[in-house]
Amino acid sequence: MAFYADKDYTQDQEVLQAMQEVMQGHLTLHWYDAKTERIKGKPADYRRGLTYRDLDVGSYGYTNVPEDLRRHQSMAARGSEKWGKLPDMGYLVNRKSEVWSDNVTDLYEEDKSRRWAPAIDVPWTEADAPSDQVEAACAQLYTFLQECALVSLDFPSRWVPLINQEFLELKSFMCAQMLDWARLLEAFRKRALLGGQGLKRASVSAEQGLKEWLWAETYSQGSISINLSLAGFLLAVFRQVAAFAPRKADRVLMGFAMQDAARQAAYGLGNLRYLLSHRPAQKVAVEEYLDLTEHVMVALFGSPELLEPMIVICGGGLEAAQISAGRAATAKFIRLVVREYMERLESAGLSGRRTRSRIPAVVDRIAAS
Amino acid sequence: MSYLSTSNFLDDKDFVDKWLYTMRTGELDLSWINAATEKAKPQLQNPRRGLTYRDLDLGSYGFTGVPEKVRDNRSYAPRGAEMPPGLPDAQPEVSRKSELWAFNTEGYYEEAVTRQWNATTDIPWERLEGAELPEAIGKALSQLMTFLTEVEMIATDTPAKWLPRLNPEFIEVRAFIASQAMDEARHAEVFRKRALTTGWGLMKASPMNEMALKHLRDADSFSEMSLALHLVAEGNVLTMFRFSEYLSPTDVDKKIFRLVMQDEARHVGYGMQHFKWVLENFPEKRDILHKHLDEAENISFAAGAATELTESFIVLAGGGLKPENIEKGIRITTQFQLKQMEEHFERLDKCGMPERKERSKLYMMYEMGKAAAEQAGLKI
Amino acid sequence: MIKFPSIDYFEALKARMAAEQERFRRLGFIDATFAVKVSDNGRSRNFVLEFEVFELKNVREVEGVDLKQVDFAIEGEARVWREMIENIKRHGEADADHDLNTLTHFGEQLKIAYDNPDGHDKLYRFMESIQEFFDLSSGLDVSFTN
Repeated sequence: MAFYADKDYTQDQEVLQAMQEVMQGHLTLHWYDAKTERIKGKPADYRRGLTYRDLDVGSYGYTNVPEDLRRHQSMAARGSEKWGKLPDMGYLVNRKSEVWSDNVTDLYEEDKSRRWAPAIDVPWTEADAPSDQVEAACAQLYTFLQECALVSLDFPSRWVPLINQEFLELKSFMCAQMLDWARLLEAFRKRALLGGQGLKRASVSAEQGLKEWLWAETYSQGSISINLSLAGFLLAVFRQVAAFAPRKADRVLMGFAMQDAARQAAYGLGNLRYLLSHRPAQKVAVEEYLDLTEHVMVALFGSPELLEPMIVICGGGLEAAQISAGRAATAKFIRLVVREYMERLESAGLSGRRTRSRIPAVVDRIAAS
Repeated sequence: MSYLSTSNFLDDKDFVDKWLYTMRTGELDLSWINAATEKAKPQLQNPRRGLTYRDLDLGSYGFTGVPEKVRDNRSYAPRGAEMPPGLPDAQPEVSRKSELWAFNTEGYYEEAVTRQWNATTDIPWERLEGAELPEAIGKALSQLMTFLTEVEMIATDTPAKWLPRLNPEFIEVRAFIASQAMDEARHAEVFRKRALTTGWGLMKASPMNEMALKHLRDADSFSEMSLALHLVAEGNVLTMFRFSEYLSPTDVDKKIFRLVMQDEARHVGYGMQHFKWVLENFPEKRDILHKHLDEAENISFAAGAATELTESFIVLAGGGLKPENIEKGIRITTQFQLKQMEEHFERLDKCGMPERKERSKLYMMYEMGKAAAEQAGLKI
Repeated sequence: MIKFPSIDYFEALKARMAAEQERFRRLGFIDATFAVKVSDNGRSRNFVLEFEVFELKNVREVEGVDLKQVDFAIEGEARVWREMIENIKRHGEADADHDLNTLTHFGEQLKIAYDNPDGHDKLYRFMESIQEFFDLSSGLDVSFTN
């Protein structure tokens, strides 16, 4: 796998000579009149600072990046003068419609401005411990959420080195996502252990399903699964837990988490919309992909490691009336997830998914019962 | 090249029936309540620091207890969780602690999370309004910024390439890599923004340095990657940031370099601690790492031939293009280059590889360069 | 005394938000336009709040809410809004049963209406800021028309 330089530079007389020339004052200045666009960028709104949008100008801007990148395979900065022998970095994602979303630069700026630190921003020490049963349910739920976070962290990590550097803003957003999920992993782990119950059980069904989503064949497919389906699902989980929060720490933590997840879902939706609007023929492939992989939603919903603790948390305990209340709240949660999932797909351009998908029929059986 | 789970859960009648039964009746299995896991309650060692990963370093949950070879977990189960049969294989390629661990990894990560700054709003861009640099300085600064924005994201792409291949047991290392990815995206951003506010735009790409990037990206192991990236490359860049702060033509540039050097020092810190850990815990790797350094140092030396960088540094350091400026610029650039090399060998020495000097061609070049500089009356 | 619902109420929150810039800056950008619909006996009063960067830029009262012109609308009976605001006044901030997420979650107390899921997601993207905006009510003396 290793890459070796084309020669031993410490022994190359031509190179040593060239270095010496410069250090003796004979500058080449070949860079001085670079053939690049002159620009003096400035903020359009000083309250917002200098954003990537302010620099979306000419050859430097992201708007002008074409659909197909055939000539740029190095890390040379977009808009700089490329010369000499630039290496091929091995990018495998070179089509804008695979990765782009019209909102990605704004989402990147928003992500940076809305950062938080779990160690100090969550009130870990406020004394409002729930019952042992509810705390055990929290430990289980947060064990499950750590699994989701590990997978969500892996997705941008797998793809970012394979994506052409011309898509700088998108790659930057993916880096922000990586930190978002590292932070959420951290927060979920801390919360799981906070109550003294220890972690609980990993979920076979969830992990099998999540691996299928994570290991999608293409970035687009993976993005639909992780950035749209999973992020939308987790957004609803975070909202649910915040609404029934056993501790203030849960409410605050989930308040931050929902912001992060909503941003990711917004990108996922925007990415799918961009793909379908620029390559409408992809609609067939996307539908087929969803036909094959949508079952993972069921794997998540039906995972006892999510389902049961959610019922206990929403109901507030294990008494019959509490379980009944918890079931009702969980049923509403499931319907909410499916409704919003279908809305996002429809908004992206997949009209008719609701009738094609097998999920609604299964979820309707919950309502019927 | 995709994975399909062991079951299509929509077709798994038992699974769906059990789910619907639970929803219908409220009969819960609850076997997870008595999961075969350790009970542990973390205490906040320092309430002002909040609840840290170090506070969670307890028993089976802690990083201290992770063995040298992780044999029992290859899934996405978080460390310490009960692992029922049937969990998928996450296909980790690095399950050996000494391949990736560093003392204080968790500390570096917590520090990174609390010290995130924003290239959009934390730099006083408005102070550049109306500020015009002389042409030579402006162009030299733009060229330096072009180089820096070009190279920064290799330190996103390269560790990110490794992250999903690391066993998920190593939560803190994965977290640190994620924080580094964000740091480097921010660096690429701030340098690009600065270049595009000079009035000159971006300048020329750097083929010699791109070769270095390719080398960093394509290492055979995580340790070799970390050595070349965190210790060699980022060590060099850290020295460059310090000199650049010193040479900055405006207070805005000084602020930029002060902020980036904080992040860079953290990455170098991890690199040094990891290198130490490898040498102490995986001594068989010493010669492999020497061989990797042979190549990394070769390429590092080659960067000296990237005249677009060296010359722009000379112009910035000297303050212009007149002969007296160039002379001054060369003196400062010589000091900088020698300092880079000196600090590189100091790091290797401190980490437990003092013998590197005897083997290294770069060290030979350093000694020659130092002798020549001292002869010319330069203070190193 | 400031009446709720009224333009004066939202203008008062706007002024308090401007006075606490540092608090809102720490939370990050908020770029959203949403409507607040307060219903009472079949009639409603509707307000459109336009947030930009770190502040409430503009608030106006409108006849009806065009969902295509806003990111989302928070709709509810006057008694629910009153309960929320009184709760905020009592505790200094909304408690667990009265924060926006809880009240809107299933749409049973307050409802979220939207034309586009992008707009809907903005509620969650900026949840902390929107919550802290309404929590500014704790510093106001509010009277209610119902």
